[in-house]
Amino acid sequence: MEVREKTNFMDNATLHRLKAGDQSLFAELVRDNHRALIALAVPIVGQSEAEEVVQNAWLKAHQAIATFEGRAQLRTWLGRIVINEAKMQLRKRGRELLFSDWQSDEQSGDALADRFNRSGRWQSPPADWETDTPEDLLMREDLASCLEELLDAMPVNQRTVLELRDTTGFSFEDICNELSLSASNVRVILHRARSQLYKLVDHYEETGEC
Amino acid sequence: MLTCREVVNSADHLIERELSRRQQLAMKVHLLMCRHCRRYVRQLRALLQAIPFMHSKASDSEVRDVMEHIQSHQSESR
Ligand SMILES: [Zn+2]
Repeated sequence: MEVREKTNFMDNATLHRLKAGDQSLFAELVRDNHRALIALAVPIVGQSEAEEVVQNAWLKAHQAIATFEGRAQLRTWLGRIVINEAKMQLRKRGRELLFSDWQSDEQSGDALADRFNRSGRWQSPPADWETDTPEDLLMREDLASCLEELLDAMPVNQRTVLELRDTTGFSFEDICNELSLSASNVRVILHRARSQLYKLVDHYEETGEC
Repeated sequence: MLTCREVVNSADHLIERELSRRQQLAMKVHLLMCRHCRRYVRQLRALLQAIPFMHSKASDSEVRDVMEHIQSHQSESR
């Protein structure tokens, strides 16, 4: 997706400088990606250890940046390092990345399910979102705290898949491998996470509050 | 004909271009006739473009912490 690229927009010349060891460019890379990487680590290792995991990941990334080949987006490349660090952290603690409760997510259901009537037509259709630029859609100040609350309350499987796919750009195949989940499972989980976000924005657009 | 609920459930696949030609056609037919679903799909696209930006940029002090951590390791290994 085009706009996804913009989170790591860097032309070839800039990328070359970054790989050659330009520290101020690396600091910009940190600025643009640090919080997204923390958000990626939190559902796996927990809030208290996410910071340490991402710090170590930055260290590895800094050592390896010259080998970045540009086949993936930078954020995806960074995300992969974070996932590896997070798994290492789990191993150190004698834990495993194993969400046994992942299958039993049925009760959380689909956030938009009650918007349809019995024959499957819209009963309360979506509001008309007034968006100038899509990038700003979730960045509005009065939405920030509700968004944070929603993400914190999201089942861990939904949160992980959402961060992997939609903020970090992992492929479905990679997500299935990382999490040992079937493709159809990943898609259902992702759909539920997206529906929650959709509902949040829709409610905000309709009522001006969340 | 697809119901609106089915369109919403398949909209992710439409956007990710994972539908067969037949499924895609069925979606298109529904979307031609249903403005609610058209709006849903259009706004879902916008939402997916917005998600990568939902985590704001790190603060100066967060960036400084990371960079100092890196530098301290560099001087150690020297
Ligand atoms: Zn419809």
